[in-house]
Amino acid sequence: MKKILGFAAVILAAALTVSGCTRKGGGETIKIGFIGPLTGDLAYAGANMKEAVEIARDEINGKGGINGKKLEVIFEDGKCDPKEAANAGNKLINIDGVTAIIGGVCSSETLAVAPLAEKSKVILFSAASTNPAITQAGDDYVFRDVPSDTFQAIYAARYIKINLNKQRVALLKCLSDWCMGVSDAFKSEFQKAGGVVTAEESFPQDSRDLRSQLVKIKASDPQLIYFVSYTEASIVGIKQMKELGIKSAVFGADAWSDPKIWESVKSNGEGSMWVEPANKNYPPEFIEAMRKKAGDKVINVYAPRAYDAMKMLAMVMNRAGTDTGLIKKGLRNIKNYQGIADNYTFDAHGDITGASYVVRTYRGGKMIDVR
Amino acid sequence: MGILSQLILNSLIAGAVYTLMALGFNLIYSVTRFFNLAHGVAAAAGGYAVFYLTHVIGLNVYAGAVLGMVSAGILGYGFDTLVFLRLRRKKTSGMVLLVASLGILTSVQAAIAILFTNEFQTFSADQTIHTVLGGSITSIQAVTVAFSVIITLILAVILRKTMFGKAVNAISDDVEVARIVGINSDRITGQVFFIGSAIAGLAGILTGFDTGLEPSMGMGLLLKGVIACIIGGMGNVYGGAAGSMVLGFAENFGIWKIPGQWKDAISFVILVAFLLLRPQGILKK
Repeated sequence: MKKILGFAAVILAAALTVSGCTRKGGGETIKIGFIGPLTGDLAYAGANMKEAVEIARDEINGKGGINGKKLEVIFEDGKCDPKEAANAGNKLINIDGVTAIIGGVCSSETLAVAPLAEKSKVILFSAASTNPAITQAGDDYVFRDVPSDTFQAIYAARYIKINLNKQRVALLKCLSDWCMGVSDAFKSEFQKAGGVVTAEESFPQDSRDLRSQLVKIKASDPQLIYFVSYTEASIVGIKQMKELGIKSAVFGADAWSDPKIWESVKSNGEGSMWVEPANKNYPPEFIEAMRKKAGDKVINVYAPRAYDAMKMLAMVMNRAGTDTGLIKKGLRNIKNYQGIADNYTFDAHGDITGASYVVRTYRGGKMIDVR
Repeated sequence: MGILSQLILNSLIAGAVYTLMALGFNLIYSVTRFFNLAHGVAAAAGGYAVFYLTHVIGLNVYAGAVLGMVSAGILGYGFDTLVFLRLRRKKTSGMVLLVASLGILTSVQAAIAILFTNEFQTFSADQTIHTVLGGSITSIQAVTVAFSVIITLILAVILRKTMFGKAVNAISDDVEVARIVGINSDRITGQVFFIGSAIAGLAGILTGFDTGLEPSMGMGLLLKGVIACIIGGMGNVYGGAAGSMVLGFAENFGIWKIPGQWKDAISFVILVAFLLLRPQGILKK
């Protein structure tokens, strides 16, 4: 019994982490932080965005930096985990004394860092976190140049109900802020449109055995499964659907734009569909710069947005310097900024006002647009 | 009745993986009397060894699997000779050994992540699917279930019939007395670490083929193995297997009527219930 208590104590001790301390500022460079998953779930997207931010940083510094000062970006690993992201945020804000943070990538990261940023008056600018709750998470200093999930979930619900003409849908989602945000928004829109949700099952983000959830979904006999999950559990889930002989159509959220999923599941994923932000006509210079850094990896849909975030921040800072009160006002006043991924206009909550999507599918070994 | 047979199959598959983890963990516990958390990373190492041998070197799957088990075994043997043996000689407490094993788990896991990245790796996408009474099971899952039964039986026979088994039982009853009658307890313990870790490696390899590999997979496998051991009875071979099956069935049937997100909670509730009501487990040693 003693040993079991000891075991629990060790786990507790491992879970506790120390953070602190004094704020240093100023200096010869302007410090910007980056928080995103560089290891673990979604590391693929995090690394891709890091490279895009590096490209933007080098371009800005190549043109003389901001008011003569060079930009320095400090990259921290948020591991797609709220605890890790909060530690990273504390370090960037209190120890490095950054003016702004680009990130997080996962919504859990951004939601964890938002209160810290708000309290310390540091700009938090996410290029990938889409959970609707972020709109209200920090009204002053938290921004994002990616549309809230409400947009993509509504788009998917209408597409499935009207274009695909499916009336009975089962929901399968991971237990993270992002997954639940998308799934809940989808559910309310789909039901409002007259659709029936036959089953709703969830699983911990790091679970790799979804068989029992899928058995229950199969028994509810849906026409389609709306499956919201990150790369790793998606690979496992899609394979296990096939193993269990589930024949329903499968529809995912924008995380399925990660080619690793389709390379891993191969023919098991045939016919799967998902939505992702529409524009992918990036300028050739950006594609070339990414190719130099990342090789032939497909550019993640969020990487160009991370690039745009860095560029917009620099544009505002050219006028506002490192005064975050002024930067905040400057970002909020951005109207019709033409970035490489989108055209951005911000609202009073720090969200962008519009969004356009496209439905994609995996067919014959390729990721292609539907129609 | 499709759903019932599928749930039974799911329970057997989960129980089989837990069994393989529990067998080695229990065996090592019976001679060393401490919770060897490094057991988890032996499983991950086994899986990654096979991944390396088959994907990078291009060895065939069967040879890769055998060598993967051997690598996991050697790794476990290394943990014992390099760390635990020295600590035991200093007469350190079980608590220190436990913390040391947590250190090993974390550092070897990090080493795997450095060598193979943290990305989720999959072996093969295509599996033959068999239908059993209206439920489906893939070849690799069937193999996992078969191995869990075979290895439980082999281990039981070894422990009962061979000199090695008798020595293990003697050490597990009383190390000092075992030494007095001439048993080289350090050598036997090293061999136990080899065998136990090789079985854990097999669990990691089969999990790799079934779902996929990631460096942190060891901790999840370990926790379920430990719970299975406590439920089944610490230090009893059949106990580990029985506990694993109870756990597999409870988890999979439990979420038939309640939402799937509570699956892990079910196993921990059972753990607490056993600790309170039947701390010696299903089968006493």
